[in-house]
Amino acid sequence: MKLQRDVYIAGVGETIFGKHKMDYDELGRLAAFQAIKASNIEKPGMIGSAYVGNAHNGIVTGQTIFKDIGICGTAPIINVESACSAGAMAVHLAIKDVACGLTELSMGVGAENHTLRRKSGTAFMPAMSDIEAVHGGVMTGKYAMRATRYMYETGATIEDLALITQKNRRHATHNPHASFKGEYSIEEIVNSRMVAYPLTLHQCCGVVDGAGAVVVCSGDMIKKLGIQKPVKIRGSVVTSGPYHNRPRDITGDDITEMTSAMLYEESGIGPKEVDILELHDAFTIAELLYYECMQLCEKGEGLKFLRDGQATYGGQCVVSPRGGMLSYGHPIGASGAAQIAANVKQLRGECNGYQVEPIPRIAMSHVTGGGLSGTEHAACTMHMISKDW
Amino acid sequence: MAEKKKSEKEKEPDMTFYHPDLLEVPENGLPYLKGYKCKKCGQLDFPKLDPCPTCWGEEFEMVPLSRKGILYSFSDLYIGQPGLKTPYICGYIDLPENIRIFAMLKGEVNTFKCDEEVELTTGHIRMNADGLPITSYMFQKV
Repeated sequence: MKLQRDVYIAGVGETIFGKHKMDYDELGRLAAFQAIKASNIEKPGMIGSAYVGNAHNGIVTGQTIFKDIGICGTAPIINVESACSAGAMAVHLAIKDVACGLTELSMGVGAENHTLRRKSGTAFMPAMSDIEAVHGGVMTGKYAMRATRYMYETGATIEDLALITQKNRRHATHNPHASFKGEYSIEEIVNSRMVAYPLTLHQCCGVVDGAGAVVVCSGDMIKKLGIQKPVKIRGSVVTSGPYHNRPRDITGDDITEMTSAMLYEESGIGPKEVDILELHDAFTIAELLYYECMQLCEKGEGLKFLRDGQATYGGQCVVSPRGGMLSYGHPIGASGAAQIAANVKQLRGECNGYQVEPIPRIAMSHVTGGGLSGTEHAACTMHMISKDW
Repeated sequence: MAEKKKSEKEKEPDMTFYHPDLLEVPENGLPYLKGYKCKKCGQLDFPKLDPCPTCWGEEFEMVPLSRKGILYSFSDLYIGQPGLKTPYICGYIDLPENIRIFAMLKGEVNTFKCDEEVELTTGHIRMNADGLPITSYMFQKV
């Protein structure tokens, strides 16, 4: 999407990610109101449109979140569903409204509560109309098969994969929003319960609840609101996954390769210039493969990139500085919006205890969605944002 | 009237074979998968895609697919779908016709390897709504 005019992020919000008794609407409202307050929006009536990402929690989810905080009745609210990509897609649509001049101020929210509804001990899967789902396909299996092949081709070990969990949870140690954090030994990660060989429990994102919210606006509006630290949208790309039932290399990910290439072109920012990155680390193997897919390093060099410390403090790009999905858990409609919220706080230097130093200038986020048969993923949404003060 | 309709619907049995368009199990012979070749552009696909995703052609010729292929990758699943007994094994099988099949693998966990040869078989993939097993294609070591 070529932005027709400049779009800025005014304010963001995120809840604690974990097991909540609050349902998705209350979580969504918390995150949305944080973002509204952080944007210096003092009264109802200023928001031109709102998009709400959710995957599993029912109908009219957005209106349920907004109905009694003075936004319903004054703005169109549109609900967005694309599994894990929903929250980021909601932000994309808010950006689109402002970029096209349809609104001066819009917001994107992602909110999800799994634990009030979902039985533990089962894996996420596509609908039963999907030919792979009928034959036992689950998301953990899809990623596990990538890991099996990657290990077979490169000689990588489960211990190597565990390094990703160790790094991300270390990043999250002092992040109050993250659930799974602190120091984990490689033995502890490798010896945790086997979920889908070679992925053990601590290599999988937790099933939790949470919400994130992002308020975007025009250049005029960002001045009017008196935002001291405006964050500029440099690129926002949504793609759908190409279908192919042919043999292909699953140690790559066609949709992530395509989306990131489009984002680099749109933003004019190259992969080596990205300071921090939140990506779809739902499982350890994903982060490892995505270093290569997003051209942070050469194909086949992902493990070296990780081992050389290029994905942590002091490296080329701090990957998963908030701790990623491996630390937050992954409420699937919420994560995409929460990633952007966390990136904005890093650019503004607001991450007390887990702030990347020196304070980053350019942040990228990436979240895929769904695992339909014949595709690597059904959807992919990526954002590039930068400090603009 | 509504009640009568409902009871009729309840009697309709659920599927026990997946799926006659995709899998043939001859009485005296080995099972095979059915590929579909588009008569307009010649592309061979599995499963059957109608219209053809390449050219939107609507006429197809059925082509029996090879019974043996190479196991590209797999996973032993210890946490699976709701209702499926664990562990079970899934894999991608690449056929010589340049087609990749996702299927359950028949065999023991910790025994499969990438790039080994596997062959088509049939087996029970899950239970249907009536509590009866559904038969479909599976692959096993040669």
